[in-house]
Amino acid sequence: MTIKEKGYSHWDGEFLARKFPWWPITRYGIKLTFQRKFFKFIFPMSLLPAIFYLAGIYVSERLEDFPFLRGETIQFLQIGPNYFKTYFTQGFMLFIMLMIVIFCGASLISDDLKHNSLQLYFSRPLKKKDYFLGKSAVIVFFLFIITLIPGLVFFIMKLIFSGSLKFFLSYPWLPLSIIGYSFIVTGFFSFYTLFLSSLSKNRRLVAILIFGVYFLSDIVYLIFRREFRSHYVSLVSLRSNLQQVGAHIFGQKAPYDVSWIFSFLVLLGICVVAGFVLKSKVKGVEIVK
Amino acid sequence: MSIEIKDIHFSYGKVKALEGVSLDLPQGAVGLLGPNGAGKSTLIRILLGFLSPDNGGGRVLGYDIKDEQTEIRRYVGYMPEDDCFIPGLDAVSFTSYLGELSGMPSQEAMKRAHEVLFYVGLKESRYRKLETYSSGMKQRLKLAQAIVHDPKLIFLDEPTSGLDPQGRSEILELIMDISSKKDIQVLISSHILPDIELTCKYVVILNKGKLAAQGDISELKEIRDLYEIKVKGEAGGFLRKLKAMKCKVEETEDEILKVYWPPKQNRQEIFRIAAEEKIQLRHFVKSETSLEDLFAQVVGVD
Repeated sequence: MTIKEKGYSHWDGEFLARKFPWWPITRYGIKLTFQRKFFKFIFPMSLLPAIFYLAGIYVSERLEDFPFLRGETIQFLQIGPNYFKTYFTQGFMLFIMLMIVIFCGASLISDDLKHNSLQLYFSRPLKKKDYFLGKSAVIVFFLFIITLIPGLVFFIMKLIFSGSLKFFLSYPWLPLSIIGYSFIVTGFFSFYTLFLSSLSKNRRLVAILIFGVYFLSDIVYLIFRREFRSHYVSLVSLRSNLQQVGAHIFGQKAPYDVSWIFSFLVLLGICVVAGFVLKSKVKGVEIVK
Repeated sequence: MSIEIKDIHFSYGKVKALEGVSLDLPQGAVGLLGPNGAGKSTLIRILLGFLSPDNGGGRVLGYDIKDEQTEIRRYVGYMPEDDCFIPGLDAVSFTSYLGELSGMPSQEAMKRAHEVLFYVGLKESRYRKLETYSSGMKQRLKLAQAIVHDPKLIFLDEPTSGLDPQGRSEILELIMDISSKKDIQVLISSHILPDIELTCKYVVILNKGKLAAQGDISELKEIRDLYEIKVKGEAGGFLRKLKAMKCKVEETEDEILKVYWPPKQNRQEIFRIAAEEKIQLRHFVKSETSLEDLFAQVVGVD
Protein backbone atom coordinates (compact mmCIF):
# COMPACT_ATOMS: atom_id res chain seq x y z
CA MET A 1 0.00 0.00 0.00
CA THR A 2 1.45 3.38 -0.96
CA ILE A 3 1.58 6.22 1.49
CA LYS A 4 -0.92 8.11 -0.68
CA GLU A 5 -3.40 5.27 -0.25
CA LYS A 6 -2.74 5.20 3.48
CA GLY A 7 -3.58 8.90 3.72
CA TYR A 8 -1.78 11.72 5.44
CA SER A 9 0.47 10.64 8.25
CA HIS A 10 1.91 12.75 11.03
CA TRP A 11 5.61 13.21 11.75
CA ASP A 12 6.32 12.07 15.27
CA GLY A 13 9.75 13.69 15.68
CA GLU A 14 10.78 16.73 17.69
CA PHE A 15 11.90 20.06 16.27
CA LEU A 16 15.50 21.00 17.05
CA ALA A 17 16.22 24.17 18.96
CA ARG A 18 19.07 25.09 16.58
CA LYS A 19 21.65 27.52 17.84
CA PHE A 20 22.44 28.37 14.23
CA PRO A 21 19.17 28.17 12.26
CA TRP A 22 21.04 29.47 9.20
CA TRP A 23 23.32 26.44 8.98
CA PRO A 24 21.14 24.46 6.49
CA ILE A 25 21.26 27.50 4.13
CA THR A 26 25.05 27.46 4.26
CA ARG A 27 25.31 23.69 3.83
CA TYR A 28 23.03 23.65 0.80
CA GLY A 29 24.73 26.77 -0.61
CA ILE A 30 28.14 25.05 -0.45
CA LYS A 31 26.69 21.86 -1.94
CA LEU A 32 25.10 23.76 -4.84
CA THR A 33 28.32 25.70 -5.50
CA PHE A 34 30.32 22.49 -5.79
CA GLN A 35 27.78 21.24 -8.35
CA ARG A 36 28.79 24.01 -10.77
CA LYS A 37 31.08 22.83 -13.55
CA PHE A 38 33.26 25.95 -13.75
CA PHE A 39 33.64 26.09 -10.01
CA LYS A 40 35.06 22.57 -10.00
CA PHE A 41 37.84 23.93 -12.20
CA ILE A 42 38.28 27.37 -10.59
CA PHE A 43 38.39 26.19 -6.99
CA PRO A 44 41.47 23.94 -7.22
CA MET A 45 43.18 26.70 -9.26
CA SER A 46 42.51 29.16 -6.44
CA LEU A 47 44.62 26.99 -4.12
CA LEU A 48 47.71 27.19 -6.36
CA PRO A 49 49.05 30.47 -4.88
CA ALA A 50 48.74 28.96 -1.39
CA ILE A 51 50.67 25.88 -2.51
CA PHE A 52 53.30 28.11 -4.13
CA TYR A 53 53.73 30.21 -0.99
CA LEU A 54 53.84 27.09 1.18
CA ALA A 55 56.60 25.74 -1.04
CA GLY A 56 58.37 29.09 -0.59
CA ILE A 57 58.32 28.62 3.18
CA TYR A 58 59.83 25.16 2.80
CA VAL A 59 62.52 26.42 0.42
CA SER A 60 63.34 29.35 2.73
CA GLU A 61 64.46 26.85 5.36
CA ARG A 62 66.49 24.76 2.87
CA LEU A 63 68.18 27.46 0.81
CA GLU A 64 71.42 25.48 0.76
CA ASP A 65 69.60 22.76 -1.21
CA PHE A 66 68.64 25.30 -3.89
CA PRO A 67 71.92 27.00 -4.82
CA PHE A 68 70.53 28.27 -8.14
CA LEU A 69 68.27 30.76 -6.33
CA ARG A 70 69.58 34.32 -6.59
CA GLY A 71 68.88 37.97 -5.72
CA GLU A 72 65.22 38.90 -5.73
CA THR A 73 64.09 35.32 -5.17
CA ILE A 74 66.23 35.05 -2.03
CA GLN A 75 64.83 38.40 -0.90
CA PHE A 76 61.27 37.20 -1.54
CA LEU A 77 61.99 34.09 0.54
CA GLN A 78 62.86 36.15 3.62
CA ILE A 79 59.84 34.93 5.55
CA GLY A 80 58.31 37.65 7.69
CA PRO A 81 55.15 39.74 7.86
CA ASN A 82 55.91 41.11 4.37
CA TYR A 83 55.72 37.58 2.92
CA PHE A 84 52.26 37.17 4.45
CA LYS A 85 51.19 40.65 3.37
CA THR A 86 52.28 39.89 -0.18
CA TYR A 87 50.26 36.68 -0.20
CA PHE A 88 47.11 38.32 1.12
CA THR A 89 47.13 41.65 -0.73
CA GLN A 90 48.77 41.03 -4.09
CA GLY A 91 46.51 41.95 -6.98
CA PHE A 92 46.45 38.38 -8.30
CA MET A 93 45.26 36.99 -4.97
CA LEU A 94 42.50 39.59 -4.76
CA PHE A 95 41.55 38.67 -8.33
CA ILE A 96 41.26 35.01 -7.31
CA MET A 97 39.04 35.99 -4.38
CA LEU A 98 36.91 37.94 -6.83
CA MET A 99 36.58 34.90 -9.10
CA ILE A 100 35.61 32.72 -6.14
CA VAL A 101 32.89 35.13 -4.99
CA ILE A 102 31.59 35.39 -8.54
CA PHE A 103 31.13 31.62 -8.73
CA CYS A 104 29.90 31.02 -5.20
CA GLY A 105 28.09 34.26 -4.48
CA ALA A 106 26.56 35.82 -7.60
CA SER A 107 23.50 33.58 -7.51
CA LEU A 108 23.01 33.47 -3.76
CA ILE A 109 20.22 36.06 -3.64
CA SER A 110 19.55 36.67 -7.34
CA ASP A 111 18.36 33.08 -7.85
CA ASP A 112 16.01 33.41 -4.88
CA LEU A 113 14.61 36.60 -6.38
CA LYS A 114 14.27 35.01 -9.82
CA HIS A 115 12.49 31.90 -8.58
CA ASN A 116 10.37 33.63 -5.88
CA SER A 117 11.95 31.47 -3.20
CA LEU A 118 12.36 34.19 -0.56
CA GLN A 119 8.79 33.48 0.56
CA LEU A 120 9.76 29.84 1.09
CA TYR A 121 12.60 30.86 3.41
CA PHE A 122 10.58 33.42 5.31
CA SER A 123 7.58 31.14 5.79
CA ARG A 124 9.96 29.09 7.99
CA PRO A 125 11.08 30.08 11.47
CA LEU A 126 13.92 32.19 10.06
CA LYS A 127 14.71 35.84 10.56
CA LYS A 128 16.31 38.09 7.94
CA LYS A 129 19.48 37.93 9.99
CA ASP A 130 19.53 34.12 9.67
CA TYR A 131 19.01 34.31 5.92
CA PHE A 132 21.89 36.76 5.47
CA LEU A 133 24.16 34.82 7.82
CA GLY A 134 23.40 31.58 5.97
CA LYS A 135 24.11 33.12 2.58
CA SER A 136 27.22 35.06 3.64
CA ALA A 137 28.62 31.98 5.40
CA VAL A 138 28.83 30.32 1.96
CA ILE A 139 31.16 33.11 0.79
CA VAL A 140 33.04 33.08 4.10
CA PHE A 141 33.58 29.32 3.80
CA PHE A 142 35.21 29.53 0.38
CA LEU A 143 37.23 32.67 1.10
CA PHE A 144 38.56 31.30 4.38
CA ILE A 145 39.86 28.29 2.47
CA ILE A 146 42.13 30.59 0.48
CA THR A 147 42.86 33.22 3.15
CA LEU A 148 42.57 32.30 6.82
CA ILE A 149 43.43 28.61 6.53
CA PRO A 150 46.51 28.98 4.27
CA GLY A 151 47.67 31.96 6.37
CA LEU A 152 47.59 29.94 9.59
CA VAL A 153 49.05 26.89 7.84
CA PHE A 154 51.97 29.03 6.55
CA PHE A 155 52.65 30.22 10.08
CA ILE A 156 52.53 26.72 11.58
CA MET A 157 54.61 25.22 8.77
CA LYS A 158 57.25 27.94 9.16
CA LEU A 159 57.58 26.92 12.82
CA ILE A 160 57.72 23.22 11.89
CA PHE A 161 60.22 23.67 9.04
CA SER A 162 62.47 25.94 11.12
CA GLY A 163 62.25 23.58 14.11
CA SER A 164 62.21 26.46 16.59
CA LEU A 165 59.89 29.07 18.09
CA LYS A 166 62.14 31.93 16.97
CA PHE A 167 59.69 33.01 14.24
CA PHE A 168 56.79 33.02 16.69
CA LEU A 169 58.77 34.97 19.28
CA SER A 170 59.80 37.51 16.63
CA TYR A 171 56.25 38.05 15.36
CA PRO A 172 53.80 36.89 18.07
CA TRP A 173 51.12 39.20 16.66
CA LEU A 174 51.28 37.73 13.15
CA PRO A 175 48.50 35.07 13.70
CA LEU A 176 46.22 37.88 14.83
CA SER A 177 47.06 39.85 11.68
CA ILE A 178 46.25 36.81 9.56
CA ILE A 179 42.93 36.32 11.35
CA GLY A 180 42.13 40.05 11.33
CA TYR A 181 42.83 40.61 7.65
CA SER A 182 41.06 37.39 6.64
CA PHE A 183 37.97 38.58 8.47
CA ILE A 184 38.14 42.06 6.92
CA VAL A 185 38.66 40.90 3.33
CA THR A 186 36.06 38.13 3.69
CA GLY A 187 33.56 40.42 5.40
CA PHE A 188 33.99 43.04 2.70
CA PHE A 189 33.58 40.57 -0.16
CA SER A 190 30.53 39.02 1.53
CA PHE A 191 28.71 42.34 1.80
CA TYR A 192 29.86 43.42 -1.67
CA THR A 193 28.69 40.18 -3.31
CA LEU A 194 25.36 39.85 -1.50
CA PHE A 195 24.60 43.51 -2.16
CA LEU A 196 25.16 43.12 -5.91
CA SER A 197 23.37 39.76 -5.91
CA SER A 198 20.28 41.43 -4.47
CA LEU A 199 20.15 43.99 -7.28
CA SER A 200 19.17 41.67 -10.11
CA LYS A 201 17.32 38.44 -10.80
CA ASN A 202 19.91 37.57 -13.44
CA ARG A 203 22.94 35.82 -11.97
CA ARG A 204 25.07 36.50 -15.08
CA LEU A 205 24.41 40.21 -14.78
CA VAL A 206 25.36 40.02 -11.09
CA ALA A 207 28.61 38.23 -12.00
CA ILE A 208 29.39 41.00 -14.50
CA LEU A 209 28.60 43.62 -11.84
CA ILE A 210 30.86 41.97 -9.25
CA PHE A 211 33.69 41.86 -11.76
CA GLY A 212 32.91 45.18 -13.40
CA VAL A 213 32.50 47.36 -10.31
CA TYR A 214 35.78 46.05 -8.88
CA PHE A 215 37.78 46.77 -12.02
CA LEU A 216 35.92 49.95 -12.88
CA SER A 217 36.94 51.36 -9.49
CA ASP A 218 40.55 50.56 -10.42
CA ILE A 219 40.25 52.17 -13.85
CA VAL A 220 38.67 55.29 -12.35
CA TYR A 221 41.55 55.41 -9.88
CA LEU A 222 44.15 55.23 -12.66
CA ILE A 223 42.42 58.01 -14.61
CA PHE A 224 42.12 60.22 -11.54
CA ARG A 225 45.75 59.58 -10.56
CA ARG A 226 46.93 60.91 -13.93
CA GLU A 227 44.64 63.91 -13.64
CA PHE A 228 45.12 64.88 -10.01
CA ARG A 229 48.45 63.23 -9.10
CA SER A 230 47.19 62.70 -5.56
CA HIS A 231 47.43 59.54 -3.49
CA TYR A 232 43.98 60.25 -2.09
CA VAL A 233 42.37 59.18 -5.34
CA SER A 234 43.43 55.63 -4.42
CA LEU A 235 40.40 55.69 -2.11
CA VAL A 236 38.11 55.14 -5.12
CA SER A 237 39.79 51.82 -5.89
CA LEU A 238 38.49 48.78 -4.03
CA ARG A 239 41.76 46.93 -4.65
CA SER A 240 43.87 49.83 -3.35
CA ASN A 241 41.78 50.13 -0.21
CA LEU A 242 42.09 46.42 0.53
CA GLN A 243 45.87 46.61 -0.04
CA GLN A 244 46.21 49.72 2.10
CA VAL A 245 44.38 48.15 5.04
CA GLY A 246 46.30 44.87 4.56
CA ALA A 247 49.65 46.65 4.64
CA HIS A 248 48.75 48.30 7.93
CA ILE A 249 47.48 45.10 9.52
CA PHE A 250 50.68 43.25 8.63
CA GLY A 251 52.75 46.18 9.89
CA GLN A 252 54.21 47.03 6.47
CA LYS A 253 54.72 50.25 4.56
CA ALA A 254 51.47 51.33 2.92
CA PRO A 255 51.56 51.42 -0.90
CA TYR A 256 49.84 54.85 -0.96
CA ASP A 257 50.56 57.96 1.03
CA VAL A 258 47.10 57.98 2.60
CA SER A 259 46.08 56.99 6.11
CA TRP A 260 44.83 53.39 6.21
CA ILE A 261 41.94 54.64 8.34
CA PHE A 262 40.43 56.35 5.28
CA SER A 263 40.68 53.14 3.29
CA PHE A 264 39.14 51.19 6.14
CA LEU A 265 36.30 53.72 6.39
CA VAL A 266 35.63 53.44 2.64
CA LEU A 267 35.36 49.65 2.93
CA LEU A 268 33.22 49.95 6.05
CA GLY A 269 31.00 52.52 4.34
CA ILE A 270 30.42 50.16 1.42
CA CYS A 271 29.47 47.39 3.85
CA VAL A 272 27.04 49.66 5.72
CA VAL A 273 25.35 50.83 2.49
CA ALA A 274 25.20 47.20 1.32
CA GLY A 275 23.60 46.21 4.63
CA PHE A 276 20.87 48.84 4.27
CA VAL A 277 20.16 47.91 0.65
CA LEU A 278 20.02 44.20 1.52
CA LYS A 279 17.62 44.87 4.37
CA SER A 280 15.24 46.73 2.11
CA LYS A 281 15.57 44.44 -0.95
CA VAL A 282 15.15 41.09 0.77
CA LYS A 283 11.55 40.57 1.86
CA GLY A 284 9.24 37.63 2.26
CA VAL A 285 6.81 39.21 -0.15
CA GLU A 286 7.21 41.44 -3.15
CA ILE A 287 4.79 44.30 -2.71
CA VAL A 288 3.54 45.88 -5.90
CA LYS A 289 2.17 49.32 -5.03
CA MET B 1 -9.43 28.51 17.84
CA SER B 2 -6.37 28.48 15.59
CA ILE B 3 -6.85 31.93 14.11
CA GLU B 4 -8.29 34.85 16.02
CA ILE B 5 -7.76 38.35 14.67
CA LYS B 6 -9.40 41.57 15.61
CA ASP B 7 -9.83 44.82 13.72
CA ILE B 8 -6.93 44.32 11.32
CA HIS B 9 -6.05 47.33 9.16
CA PHE B 10 -3.34 47.35 6.54
CA SER B 11 -2.41 49.77 3.76
CA TYR B 12 0.07 49.70 0.90
CA GLY B 13 0.87 53.41 0.94
CA LYS B 14 -2.45 55.14 0.25
CA VAL B 15 -4.19 51.97 -0.89
CA LYS B 16 -6.16 50.35 1.90
CA ALA B 17 -5.83 46.58 1.59
CA LEU B 18 -7.63 45.54 4.78
CA GLU B 19 -10.05 47.57 6.86
CA GLY B 20 -11.17 46.34 10.24
CA VAL B 21 -11.15 42.62 9.51
CA SER B 22 -11.97 40.43 12.51
CA LEU B 23 -12.06 36.65 12.33
CA ASP B 24 -12.44 33.77 14.70
CA LEU B 25 -12.06 30.61 12.67
CA PRO B 26 -13.12 27.12 13.69
CA GLN B 27 -11.14 23.88 13.19
CA GLY B 28 -11.16 22.13 9.82
CA ALA B 29 -10.95 23.54 6.34
CA VAL B 30 -11.79 27.19 5.87
CA GLY B 31 -12.20 28.86 2.48
CA LEU B 32 -11.02 32.39 1.93
CA LEU B 33 -12.85 33.99 -0.95
CA GLY B 34 -12.87 37.37 -2.58
CA PRO B 35 -12.38 39.03 -5.95
CA ASN B 36 -8.94 40.23 -7.07
CA GLY B 37 -7.66 42.92 -4.72
CA ALA B 38 -10.03 41.91 -1.93
CA GLY B 39 -7.12 41.45 0.48
CA LYS B 40 -6.93 37.64 0.67
CA SER B 41 -3.19 37.35 0.06
CA THR B 42 -2.51 40.34 2.31
CA LEU B 43 -4.46 38.62 5.09
CA ILE B 44 -2.45 35.41 4.68
CA ARG B 45 0.80 37.39 4.67
CA ILE B 46 -0.21 39.13 7.88
CA LEU B 47 -1.09 35.80 9.49
CA LEU B 48 2.32 34.47 8.45
CA GLY B 49 4.09 37.56 9.76
CA PHE B 50 5.39 38.70 6.35
CA LEU B 51 3.52 41.94 6.91
CA SER B 52 2.74 43.71 10.16
CA PRO B 53 -0.76 45.19 10.47
CA ASP B 54 -1.09 48.96 10.82
CA ASN B 55 -3.77 48.48 13.44
CA GLY B 56 -5.35 45.58 15.25
CA GLY B 57 -3.82 42.29 16.28
CA GLY B 58 -4.51 38.68 16.86
CA ARG B 59 -3.20 35.22 17.50
CA VAL B 60 -2.43 32.27 15.27
CA LEU B 61 -2.15 28.92 17.07
CA GLY B 62 -2.03 30.94 20.27
CA TYR B 63 1.01 33.02 19.16
CA ASP B 64 0.82 36.76 18.71
CA ILE B 65 0.94 37.79 15.02
CA LYS B 66 3.09 40.84 15.77
CA ASP B 67 5.57 39.52 18.31
CA GLU B 68 5.81 35.76 17.85
CA GLN B 69 6.06 35.39 14.08
CA THR B 70 8.96 32.94 14.23
CA GLU B 71 6.99 30.58 16.48
CA ILE B 72 3.95 30.82 14.22
CA ARG B 73 6.04 29.86 11.20
CA ARG B 74 7.42 26.78 12.92
CA TYR B 75 3.93 25.27 13.15
CA VAL B 76 2.43 26.68 9.97
CA GLY B 77 2.79 25.39 6.40
CA TYR B 78 2.50 27.78 3.48
CA MET B 79 1.85 26.92 -0.14
CA PRO B 80 2.37 30.15 -2.11
CA GLU B 81 0.41 31.04 -5.22
CA ASP B 82 3.42 31.79 -7.44
CA ASP B 83 5.82 29.25 -8.83
CA CYS B 84 8.71 29.11 -6.42
CA PHE B 85 11.62 26.71 -6.11
CA ILE B 86 15.35 26.58 -5.56
CA PRO B 87 17.22 25.83 -8.79
CA GLY B 88 19.80 23.07 -8.83
CA LEU B 89 17.98 20.89 -6.31
CA ASP B 90 15.91 17.78 -6.89
CA ALA B 91 12.54 17.39 -5.18
CA VAL B 92 13.87 15.29 -2.30
CA SER B 93 16.67 17.72 -1.47
CA PHE B 94 14.33 20.69 -1.85
CA THR B 95 11.65 19.29 0.44
CA SER B 96 14.15 18.02 2.96
CA TYR B 97 15.99 21.38 2.91
CA LEU B 98 12.79 23.25 3.74
CA GLY B 99 12.04 20.69 6.45
CA GLU B 100 15.43 21.38 7.97
CA LEU B 101 14.80 25.12 7.82
CA SER B 102 11.62 24.47 9.80
CA GLY B 103 13.75 22.89 12.51
CA MET B 104 13.62 19.20 11.62
CA PRO B 105 16.77 17.13 12.18
CA SER B 106 18.59 16.51 8.89
CA GLN B 107 18.03 12.74 8.63
CA GLU B 108 14.40 12.91 9.68
CA ALA B 109 13.77 15.73 7.21
CA MET B 110 15.14 13.54 4.42
CA LYS B 111 12.99 10.57 5.48
CA ARG B 112 9.90 12.72 5.78
CA ALA B 113 10.63 14.37 2.39
CA HIS B 114 10.41 10.96 0.75
CA GLU B 115 7.13 10.27 2.56
CA VAL B 116 5.41 13.50 1.58
CA LEU B 117 6.62 13.27 -2.03
CA PHE B 118 5.09 9.78 -2.22
CA TYR B 119 1.96 11.21 -0.64
CA VAL B 120 1.54 14.03 -3.18
CA GLY B 121 2.22 11.67 -6.07
CA LEU B 122 5.77 12.67 -7.00
CA LYS B 123 7.24 9.28 -6.19
CA GLU B 124 8.73 8.63 -9.63
CA SER B 125 10.11 12.10 -10.23
CA ARG B 126 11.51 12.90 -6.83
CA TYR B 127 15.12 12.78 -8.02
CA ARG B 128 14.53 15.01 -11.02
CA LYS B 129 15.86 18.58 -11.04
CA LEU B 130 13.09 21.07 -10.25
CA GLU B 131 13.82 23.08 -13.40
CA THR B 132 12.39 20.18 -15.43
CA TYR B 133 9.09 20.01 -13.53
CA SER B 134 5.75 20.82 -15.19
CA SER B 135 3.32 23.32 -13.59
CA GLY B 136 1.24 20.49 -12.15
CA MET B 137 4.30 18.86 -10.59
CA LYS B 138 5.44 22.18 -9.16
CA GLN B 139 2.01 22.61 -7.60
CA ARG B 140 2.31 19.19 -5.91
CA LEU B 141 5.84 20.02 -4.82
CA LYS B 142 4.63 23.24 -3.21
CA LEU B 143 2.08 21.21 -1.28
CA ALA B 144 4.80 18.74 -0.25
CA GLN B 145 7.06 21.48 1.13
CA ALA B 146 4.10 22.97 3.00
CA ILE B 147 3.38 19.72 4.85
CA VAL B 148 6.90 18.31 5.26
CA HIS B 149 7.21 19.53 8.86
CA ASP B 150 3.71 18.30 9.76
CA PRO B 151 2.24 21.76 10.47
CA LYS B 152 -0.82 22.34 12.63
CA LEU B 153 -2.14 24.97 10.26
CA ILE B 154 -1.70 25.13 6.48
CA PHE B 155 -2.24 28.16 4.29
CA LEU B 156 -2.94 27.21 0.70
CA ASP B 157 -2.92 30.12 -1.74
CA GLU B 158 -4.70 29.14 -4.98
CA PRO B 159 -3.70 25.46 -4.64
CA THR B 160 -5.34 24.34 -7.89
CA SER B 161 -4.36 27.18 -10.19
CA GLY B 162 -2.79 26.05 -13.46
CA LEU B 163 -3.82 22.42 -13.05
CA ASP B 164 -5.61 20.21 -15.53
CA PRO B 165 -8.95 18.71 -14.35
CA GLN B 166 -7.36 15.45 -13.20
CA GLY B 167 -4.52 17.21 -11.38
CA ARG B 168 -7.03 19.54 -9.79
CA SER B 169 -9.18 16.73 -8.51
CA GLU B 170 -6.12 14.90 -7.12
CA ILE B 171 -4.89 17.98 -5.27
CA LEU B 172 -8.39 18.56 -3.87
CA GLU B 173 -8.47 14.95 -2.70
CA LEU B 174 -5.17 15.47 -0.89
CA ILE B 175 -6.44 18.68 0.70
CA MET B 176 -9.60 16.93 1.88
CA ASP B 177 -7.52 14.09 3.28
CA ILE B 178 -5.23 16.48 5.15
CA SER B 179 -8.08 18.59 6.49
CA SER B 180 -9.94 15.48 7.62
CA LYS B 181 -7.30 15.12 10.34
CA LYS B 182 -8.88 16.71 13.36
CA ASP B 183 -5.65 18.33 14.51
CA ILE B 184 -4.79 20.11 11.24
CA GLN B 185 -6.50 23.25 10.12
CA VAL B 186 -6.40 24.33 6.48
CA LEU B 187 -7.05 27.82 5.18
CA ILE B 188 -7.59 27.82 1.42
CA SER B 189 -7.59 30.99 -0.59
CA SER B 190 -9.02 30.42 -4.05
CA HIS B 191 -10.89 31.97 -6.92
CA ILE B 192 -12.34 28.62 -7.88
CA LEU B 193 -15.57 28.50 -5.92
CA PRO B 194 -16.44 24.84 -6.56
CA ASP B 195 -13.04 23.92 -5.03
CA ILE B 196 -13.94 25.77 -1.85
CA GLU B 197 -17.43 24.30 -1.81
CA LEU B 198 -15.98 20.81 -2.15
CA THR B 199 -13.23 21.10 0.46
CA CYS B 200 -14.52 23.56 3.09
CA LYS B 201 -17.41 23.77 5.50
CA TYR B 202 -16.66 27.28 6.62
CA VAL B 203 -16.01 30.29 4.43
CA VAL B 204 -14.72 33.83 4.81
CA ILE B 205 -15.56 36.29 2.06
CA LEU B 206 -13.55 39.47 1.71
CA ASN B 207 -14.51 42.36 -0.52
CA LYS B 208 -12.53 45.57 -1.00
CA GLY B 209 -10.51 44.88 2.13
CA LYS B 210 -13.56 44.37 4.31
CA LEU B 211 -15.16 41.26 5.71
CA ALA B 212 -18.24 40.70 3.55
CA ALA B 213 -19.43 37.45 5.14
CA GLN B 214 -18.22 34.55 7.21
CA GLY B 215 -19.82 31.40 8.50
CA ASP B 216 -20.78 27.83 7.66
CA ILE B 217 -21.39 27.59 3.96
CA SER B 218 -24.69 25.79 4.50
CA GLU B 219 -25.89 28.44 6.95
CA LEU B 220 -24.83 31.32 4.72
CA LYS B 221 -26.72 29.81 1.82
CA GLU B 222 -29.87 29.85 3.91
CA ILE B 223 -29.69 33.56 4.62
CA ARG B 224 -31.61 34.34 1.47
CA ASP B 225 -33.88 32.18 -0.64
CA LEU B 226 -33.14 32.02 -4.30
CA TYR B 227 -35.99 31.80 -6.81
CA GLU B 228 -35.73 31.35 -10.53
CA ILE B 229 -38.51 33.20 -12.33
CA LYS B 230 -39.47 33.51 -15.98
CA VAL B 231 -41.93 36.26 -16.89
CA LYS B 232 -43.99 37.23 -19.91
CA GLY B 233 -44.56 40.89 -20.54
CA GLU B 234 -42.69 44.12 -19.77
CA ALA B 235 -40.64 43.28 -16.66
CA GLY B 236 -39.12 46.74 -16.01
CA GLY B 237 -41.60 47.83 -13.33
CA PHE B 238 -41.60 44.37 -11.74
CA LEU B 239 -37.80 44.45 -11.39
CA ARG B 240 -37.81 47.99 -10.01
CA LYS B 241 -40.33 47.05 -7.32
CA LEU B 242 -38.36 43.93 -6.37
CA LYS B 243 -35.17 45.95 -6.06
CA ALA B 244 -36.99 48.55 -3.98
CA MET B 245 -37.69 45.75 -1.50
CA LYS B 246 -33.88 45.26 -1.16
CA CYS B 247 -34.09 42.13 -3.17
CA LYS B 248 -31.15 41.33 -5.47
CA VAL B 249 -32.15 40.31 -8.99
CA GLU B 250 -29.91 38.90 -11.73
CA GLU B 251 -30.92 38.19 -15.29
CA THR B 252 -29.35 35.15 -16.96
CA GLU B 253 -28.62 34.73 -20.66
CA ASP B 254 -31.70 32.49 -21.12
CA GLU B 255 -33.94 35.25 -19.69
CA ILE B 256 -34.39 33.65 -16.30
CA LEU B 257 -34.52 36.04 -13.37
CA LYS B 258 -32.58 34.90 -10.30
CA VAL B 259 -34.24 36.57 -7.33
CA TYR B 260 -32.51 36.50 -3.92
CA TRP B 261 -35.47 36.86 -1.58
CA PRO B 262 -34.94 37.97 2.04
CA PRO B 263 -36.14 35.01 4.17
CA LYS B 264 -38.31 37.01 6.57
CA GLN B 265 -40.47 38.37 3.78
CA ASN B 266 -43.45 36.53 2.45
CA ARG B 267 -42.82 35.18 -1.05
CA GLN B 268 -46.47 35.83 -1.92
CA GLU B 269 -45.29 39.42 -2.39
CA ILE B 270 -43.62 38.36 -5.64
CA PHE B 271 -46.97 37.25 -7.05
CA ARG B 272 -48.68 40.41 -5.80
CA ILE B 273 -46.12 42.65 -7.53
CA ALA B 274 -46.42 40.61 -10.72
CA ALA B 275 -50.20 41.09 -10.64
CA GLU B 276 -49.77 44.81 -10.02
CA GLU B 277 -47.43 45.09 -12.99
CA LYS B 278 -49.70 42.94 -15.10
CA ILE B 279 -47.11 40.39 -16.09
CA GLN B 280 -47.39 36.62 -16.18
CA LEU B 281 -45.12 34.39 -14.13
CA ARG B 282 -44.39 31.47 -16.43
CA HIS B 283 -41.80 29.74 -14.29
CA PHE B 284 -41.30 29.94 -10.51
CA VAL B 285 -38.84 27.53 -8.88
CA LYS B 286 -37.03 27.69 -5.55
CA SER B 287 -33.43 27.10 -6.47
CA GLU B 288 -30.54 25.62 -4.52
CA THR B 289 -28.16 28.47 -3.63
CA SER B 290 -24.64 27.63 -4.72
CA LEU B 291 -21.53 29.16 -3.26
CA GLU B 292 -21.24 31.01 -6.54
CA ASP B 293 -24.68 32.59 -5.96
CA LEU B 294 -23.74 33.46 -2.42
CA PHE B 295 -20.45 34.97 -3.56
CA ALA B 296 -22.16 36.97 -6.30
CA GLN B 297 -24.73 38.22 -3.86
CA VAL B 298 -22.26 39.21 -1.13
CA VAL B 299 -19.61 40.69 -3.38
CA GLY B 300 -21.98 42.09 -5.94
CA VAL B 301 -20.34 40.57 -9.01
CA ASP B 302 -21.51 37.96 -11.51
